Amino acid sequence: MAAADKFERQMNLLAALLDAPRPISAEQIQERVAGYSADKDAFRRTFERDKDELRELGVPVQVATIPATFPEQQGYLVDRSVYELPELELEADEIAALRLALQAVRVGDPSAHESESSAALWRLGGLAGGTAVAVDDEIAAIPADHRQTQLFHAVLERRVCRFEYPSSGGVTERVVEPWRVGYERGHWYLTGFDQDRSDQRQFRLDRMSEKIVLGEPDGFSDSAPLPEGSTYRPWDDGSADQVLAVVCVDADQAPWAAEMLGEHTVVGVDGNGGTIFNVPITSWPAFRSFLLSFLDHAELLEPPELRADLIEWLESTAAGDRS
Amino acid sequence: MSGVLSGRQRLERALAIVPWIDSQGGTAAVEDVCKRFDLDVEQLQSCLETVSMVGVYPYTPDALLEVFVESGHVHVNLPDYFTRPLRLTPTQTFGLIAAGRALLSLPGTDAEGPLARAIAKVAAATGAGSAVAIDLDTAPIEILQEIQSATSATRMIEIDYYSYARDAWSTRRVEPWRVQAIEGKWYLEGYCHSARDVRVFRLDRIRSLLVLDDRFTAPTLEAPLEIFDGVADLPSITLDLEPAATWVAKQYPMTSIEQLSGGRLRVTLAVSARPWLERLLLRLGDDAQIVRSDDSLAGTRAAGARRVLVRYLQ
Repeated sequence: MAAADKFERQMNLLAALLDAPRPISAEQIQERVAGYSADKDAFRRTFERDKDELRELGVPVQVATIPATFPEQQGYLVDRSVYELPELELEADEIAALRLALQAVRVGDPSAHESESSAALWRLGGLAGGTAVAVDDEIAAIPADHRQTQLFHAVLERRVCRFEYPSSGGVTERVVEPWRVGYERGHWYLTGFDQDRSDQRQFRLDRMSEKIVLGEPDGFSDSAPLPEGSTYRPWDDGSADQVLAVVCVDADQAPWAAEMLGEHTVVGVDGNGGTIFNVPITSWPAFRSFLLSFLDHAELLEPPELRADLIEWLESTAAGDRS
Repeated sequence: MSGVLSGRQRLERALAIVPWIDSQGGTAAVEDVCKRFDLDVEQLQSCLETVSMVGVYPYTPDALLEVFVESGHVHVNLPDYFTRPLRLTPTQTFGLIAAGRALLSLPGTDAEGPLARAIAKVAAATGAGSAVAIDLDTAPIEILQEIQSATSATRMIEIDYYSYARDAWSTRRVEPWRVQAIEGKWYLEGYCHSARDVRVFRLDRIRSLLVLDDRFTAPTLEAPLEIFDGVADLPSITLDLEPAATWVAKQYPMTSIEQLSGGRLRVTLAVSARPWLERLLLRLGDDAQIVRSDDSLAGTRAAGARRVLVRYLQ
C-alpha cells in the first residue's frame, strides 16, 4: 500500500502546484495537500523527497516569493506553460516511426534507453494502437551517458561550458559557447565557439575533463549557422602560425586519409597513384601524430623544415627506444 | 508488462494516460489504453482507482478528478490541469532525436518519410533544431547492401580485407552472419574460413567483395556482437600516459588502469599485432613512456620509426 499512498500523495501535490494561481508555502502544502503527516519533521522529509522525485520526472517545481508577504516568504509553484508538452500534432505513422527508431538504434545504456524511450513515447501519446510495427533487431548502438545530455541541455539553454581539454600545448581550460553535440566516425563531438581562441572549434567528448561547468542560461547570443559535416581537426587547434603541409598517401589508404582530412584537401595524384593532400596546420605535433598513424604509407613532402624535423624526430626515436 | 507497478511507474503512466484520454473526447476503450501504455487491465484499474481520489483542497467531489470505468471504457472529466502530458525531459528529447537522426543517416531511409517529419516536429517543439547531429554511415553503401543480401541468402562471401592491426591486405572466405553498427562503425561478424574461427571485420576496410555460390548454415546468435576479442593470451605492454594521451584508455580495452599524479595514467594493454603497437607508440610520441613490455614487444617503437624512416631516406 505504501507505493499507492506515495503515488496518490505526489499526484495531489502536483495537482495543488498546477492549480495554484500563485506560489504556495510549505505550511499550506502540509495543511491542504492530502497525504502529508501533521508532524513537521516527518512532513519536511516526505515533501523534500516528493519534490525531488517530481523533478526527476521533469516536473519544473520552482521556488518563488509569495506576493504581498512581509517579511518575504518563499513558496512553490509549477508553471503550466513550462510543465505542459507543446502540441506536436504527430500523426499515428509518425509516432510509429519514432518507436521503430528507438528500437533500431540504442542510445546509451540498454536499460536506461528502454525506460526513457517508453516514457517519451507515452508522453507523445502512447504506442500507436492498431499500427502494428515489426519489431526489428537493433541495428545500431551509440554509446552515451550523462555528458551528452548535459551538453545538449547547455546548447538548448545557451549556457557557456568550461572544461579541461588536452591539446599539443598540454591540458588547458577551454571556454566554449556550445552550438551542437554530434556523433560521427564513432565519436561524440561538441562544436562551438571557443571564446579564448575567438574561433569555431570541435572537441571530442571522450577527451574532455570529467567535470564540465555550465554557466547561466542565455550566456551568449545565437550561434552562427553551422557548416555541415565535421571540422574536427586537432592539427588546426594550435596557436602556431598556419603553414601548408603537403602529404602523399598511398592509394590503398588514401580514402581513410581523405575522410579525416576532408575531401577539399585532396589536390591530385602522384606518379605511383598516391593521393596528394594540401593541409593547413597550426599544430605540428598533432599533425605529426596523425601522419604517423599511417606508418610508412604516408609521407610529408613539404614544407622542408617540418620534413627535416620529422626525420630528426624519427631518427632519435629509432635510436632512443631500446626498451 | 505484468505485476505490481512502482509508485514512480504509476505516476509516469498516469501523467500521460489521463491527458491522452481527455484528448480523445474524454473516453477511450480500456483495451486501447492498455495497449498504448503497456499495461494489463488490473494495472490500469489500480492506477485509475488512485487517480479518482486525486484533486485539490477541500477534496470534495467537485475538486477531484473525475475518472471511472464503465462498460469497457475509461471516462475522464478534468479540471483545467492534467489536460496536457508532461513535457519531455532533455534526456528523452536527446534520445529521440539521436535515435531518429541516426536511422535517417543510414542509406535507404526516406528523407521525407514519417520519421523525418516526426523528428522535425520534435526538434521544432523543443528548440533542438540543430543541437544534435548524428552520422552513422561510414561504410560504402554497396558493400553494406551486398553483405546484407548475402546474409539473408546464406551465401558465403570472399573479401579483400585490410587488417589495421597487422598492416596487411588479405583475401578471406567468410560466412557473413550479421552486420551491425557499433559506435558509429559498421562491422561484419562471421566465420572466417581462412582463420578457421569467428572474426569481426570493419566494413570500411573491405576493398572488394564477391558473393560466392557456396551456402552456409546460419547460426543462432544470442550474445551481442563484440568488437574486441578476448585478450587473455596476448602479449602486453605497460605505458605511462601524459594527460594529453589518456584518451587511449577509453578507446582500447585495458587489462589495468592506475591513476598517477598530475592526471597521468599507467595502463596495461594487450597487443594483438606489432604494427598496431608501432602506430600507437609513434602517434603518442613523447606523451607515452614505456614502463615495461613482454619480450616479444621489445623495441617496437624504434622499429616503427626505422620503418617510416626508410621512406624518407631512400
